[in-house]
Amino acid sequence: MSIASDLIRGHTDTIILARLMGGDNYGYEINKSIQQKTDGKYELKEATLYTAFRRLEQAGCISSYWGNERTGARRRYYSITDSGRDTYEKLIREWQSAKEMINKLIETEED
Amino acid sequence: MEDKLRRYVEGLFEETAPTKKAVELREEMIQNLQDKYKDLIAEGKTPEAAYNIVVAGIGDVGALIKELEDNTMPDIEKYQEAQSKSAMLTAIAVMMYILSVLPLIMLSLFGNRNSATIGLPIMFVMVAVATGLLIYNSMSKPKYNKESDTMVEEFLEWQSETDERRTLRKAVSGMLWSIVVVVYIIVSFATHMWHITWVIFVLAGALESLINILFTLKKK
Repeated sequence: MSIASDLIRGHTDTIILARLMGGDNYGYEINKSIQQKTDGKYELKEATLYTAFRRLEQAGCISSYWGNERTGARRRYYSITDSGRDTYEKLIREWQSAKEMINKLIETEED
Repeated sequence: MEDKLRRYVEGLFEETAPTKKAVELREEMIQNLQDKYKDLIAEGKTPEAAYNIVVAGIGDVGALIKELEDNTMPDIEKYQEAQSKSAMLTAIAVMMYILSVLPLIMLSLFGNRNSATIGLPIMFVMVAVATGLLIYNSMSKPKYNKESDTMVEEFLEWQSETDERRTLRKAVSGMLWSIVVVVYIIVSFATHMWHITWVIFVLAGALESLINILFTLKKK
């Protein structure tokens, strides 16, 4: 599990951008959907999540705003920018080619 | 238990300057962690277990919080840089005010009657440029970046402007204006150029702002 976590951690930005492709969201909801998608096997640490948010925001991939909810407290929402969408497409392409390469590299010759 | 959670997060930020960024991150964290806590309670966890899971999920935020502090540094440097540029512009403008009468005086002393009249437009142009500089300066001067501002800094700034210093500034200002009145009368009687000697008061005003700048700069 820890090795899988390390592998996934390298793609935190892609994962967060992917969550935001579906619409604006806030920290806990994003993390919860990550947890649900992995059947509770993977969850980002708060520290990792907010560090990624700051990094992505500084890079102009996402923007944030404080929501104004009538019930409960105000939440900080994040939304993906156009440049964020481009970055997401690029990261996906990179991952696809890396995945193919790794698959080829780790398969044993059987023929 | 939710209060305990808030106190825990506030404890993490205890040694961080309460900048806008830091407060926002803190509130964002508290909000999200409380949501998570409520979900865990809804799942049937005991308050203690839920609290422990939430705290364990935070991870090491030390680096993240430290980064907030580092980000405030360039802002202060930029501010100081802008302030010295602003002081420079003001100094140039004041210098132009002072020098603006020079062509007029020189031309009236050494030139003929006609050349003296050329001095007047030159003076007005110089005054106009100097005024333009001052206006540009005050409009373009950045206000202290509120994002990196803290109440502590504001308080310290206020405190550093001690009564002693304020009294000294007032004394200098009072002295300046008395001298200016004397100089105005002497110069006017000596030269009989009453139509132009009033400029001395404009110069005195500029000189006073220059003194104020020197006080402000010295304070730092």
